[in-house]
Amino acid sequence: MSCVGTCFCEKLTLFFWFDLVHNQTVRLFKIACGVKFYVLLSIQYSSSMYQKIALAIAFSPRMEALISETKRLVLLFQSELILIHIGKKTDELEAKLDEILLKTGLENIPTKLIWKEGKPTKKIIEACREEDADLLVVGALKREKILTYYMGSVGRKVIRKSKCSVLTLINPSVIAKKFSKMVINGTQLEVTPRVISEGLKFCQVEQASQVHILNEIKMYGLRMATASEKSEDEVSYIRRKLVQDEIKYVEDILANLDQTGLKINIKVTAGKWAVELVRYCESINADLLIMGDERGYTFIDRLFPHDLEEVLTELPCNLLIIK
Amino acid sequence: MESLAHKDVINLLLQLASMLLVARVFAEIAQKFNQPAVVGEILAGIILGPTILGLVGPGVFEFLFQSNPPANLALDGIVQVAVILLLFVAGLEVELHLVWSQGKSALAISLLGLVFPFVLGFIFPYFFPEFFGQGEGNRLLFSLFMGTAMSITALPVVVRILMDMNLFKTKMGMVIVAGAMVNDIIGWLIFSVILSFMGQSANLSLFNTIGITLLFTAFMLTLGKGLLNRVLPWINKKLAWPGGLLSLSMAFCFMAAAFTEWLGIHAIFGAFIFGVALGDSDHLSEKAKEIIHQFINNIFAPLFFVSIGLKIDFAANFDILLILVILAISFAGKIIGSGLGAYRSGYELKDALAVGFGMNARGAMEIILGIIALENNLIDEKLFVALVVMALITSMTSGPLMKWALNKA
Repeated sequence: MSCVGTCFCEKLTLFFWFDLVHNQTVRLFKIACGVKFYVLLSIQYSSSMYQKIALAIAFSPRMEALISETKRLVLLFQSELILIHIGKKTDELEAKLDEILLKTGLENIPTKLIWKEGKPTKKIIEACREEDADLLVVGALKREKILTYYMGSVGRKVIRKSKCSVLTLINPSVIAKKFSKMVINGTQLEVTPRVISEGLKFCQVEQASQVHILNEIKMYGLRMATASEKSEDEVSYIRRKLVQDEIKYVEDILANLDQTGLKINIKVTAGKWAVELVRYCESINADLLIMGDERGYTFIDRLFPHDLEEVLTELPCNLLIIK
Repeated sequence: MESLAHKDVINLLLQLASMLLVARVFAEIAQKFNQPAVVGEILAGIILGPTILGLVGPGVFEFLFQSNPPANLALDGIVQVAVILLLFVAGLEVELHLVWSQGKSALAISLLGLVFPFVLGFIFPYFFPEFFGQGEGNRLLFSLFMGTAMSITALPVVVRILMDMNLFKTKMGMVIVAGAMVNDIIGWLIFSVILSFMGQSANLSLFNTIGITLLFTAFMLTLGKGLLNRVLPWINKKLAWPGGLLSLSMAFCFMAAAFTEWLGIHAIFGAFIFGVALGDSDHLSEKAKEIIHQFINNIFAPLFFVSIGLKIDFAANFDILLILVILAISFAGKIIGSGLGAYRSGYELKDALAVGFGMNARGAMEIILGIIALENNLIDEKLFVALVVMALITSMTSGPLMKWALNKA
């Protein structure tokens, strides 16, 4: 496995390459030898994007379906599975869980069970951090009841606050199906190049039949109205250029990425990007929407929904948030 | 229903034709020099009005604009509608989701860019009201108005400059746009409170007026917007497009305007807030926005800007010292305030300066603010002229100064 590392020592920065023989996740070394050295390693896995996949479970009717879906992903990414349950550990629940694990055929998969007591959102996130999970899978309703939405359900709170990537499944099925039509958010944000890169890797592993990357022209109406002070030819040139600029933005990101086996369609819309993403996913009946997350969201963001919150108001399909 | 006489109709039509014609000619000239159309349109008004036509061809001026009081009254009605529509599009331009997306840096830039010029604009007129040309109102209101007038930013001018400089989509561009949007909302809120303080034709007590203003704003931006989100898909699907959307949005805009006018604030505030709610709705397509913009920007906006020049003699009210002082306060307040906000948000000094210059453009909003203050006798004509000149100069210099700051090594 090849690794890229950066070493910081006061003002001195060193770049180095080395190979790791063992399949070991090394994130941070702290070597104390008089001076503090911090070595940060970002590991490029050729075999697996996700080493550890966590699933938050509650004993709900959808639990079996959620486990089946996650099992499919665990096999796909050759990962370890971590099951997190927040609540009191009782013999009865343990027996019930064992039964489900047996039924879903998890006995042959390396699985770790974590029981924690406390506030569900906080404890789920804490467990993910402790276990160094790369992906957290949660179930969520397509649309919350209005009060639950404003108060914040566990599912949505986890999406907002999780430090690792989160896959939200809105309609899990006991007979797990692969994601075929994927939509990646290509709107111009700081995280977008990374989202597209990670998203494509996910699509490749999943062997998606079609990948749509959606970008949008910001404030198209006002910009075109401003441009209308110019002549007809200039206005139509500006109109074309606005579209071409957005396509080029995505193409430039794609140029450096491996697209083997993928059919990629770049689409440009105008308006609020989150709203357009939701609409587009609904119109093509997408299986999975992949997007990034720029920052933590608060109650105010729910009162005036924007960006991710706009998507969370009503999930159009399953949602993968890359963090 | 009373109607205009034959000669009044001819006069009104000639007024409209001449205003639109001259406005177009000068807007084109302004654009040739890479200046916003509003600069040309104001100039057209000065040329058609008492300042120039009244001087070189008093007969023509008299025939066109002073011979038929009923025609003038009708024209005034059209201009009133134009101002309401201008504020409606100004509201439409505000995209709250963009403001929220930009987060703290946009808030820092806009708030410091609001507070600094506001304080400067408040202090000087408060201590030297005679010099600044206070109208009949009280000194506190006058100073509050001056503070607001100094702190407003014209979004369309800013957008145009950023597009010309290819900066629109950059982080800096988005932060400036979001900052200007916040400025607009707060600026108009403060101004509406000032207008309600003046209590002209108010139907409610002062306390009630302010309470209802805030309630109306909060309602429109939350429940009102939610309601629009439900109604718009139906309008788009079931009614003629864009006819249905255009006529209904205008109807609701006038209704909101009538409501705030009844409250004793001013019709424009209702139109503005309705515009913000409509513009922020998920279902108002960008295409529809473009149509509304073009329809208002090219027909109603020129009529309003030309009418400014028709009402006021710019030469007689031109006070160079006052203009220079207003310019100094406006430049200093906005550039230091917004620049400091940007600097504190982590921008380099030259970029922070560029943000300050970008936010300095006052444009049409300043002129609308000024004319309402003039009509309410809050300011005198000399100060109004100074504010118009300041609006034009800040709009004209904003782009070149931004370029200069960014090119600085």
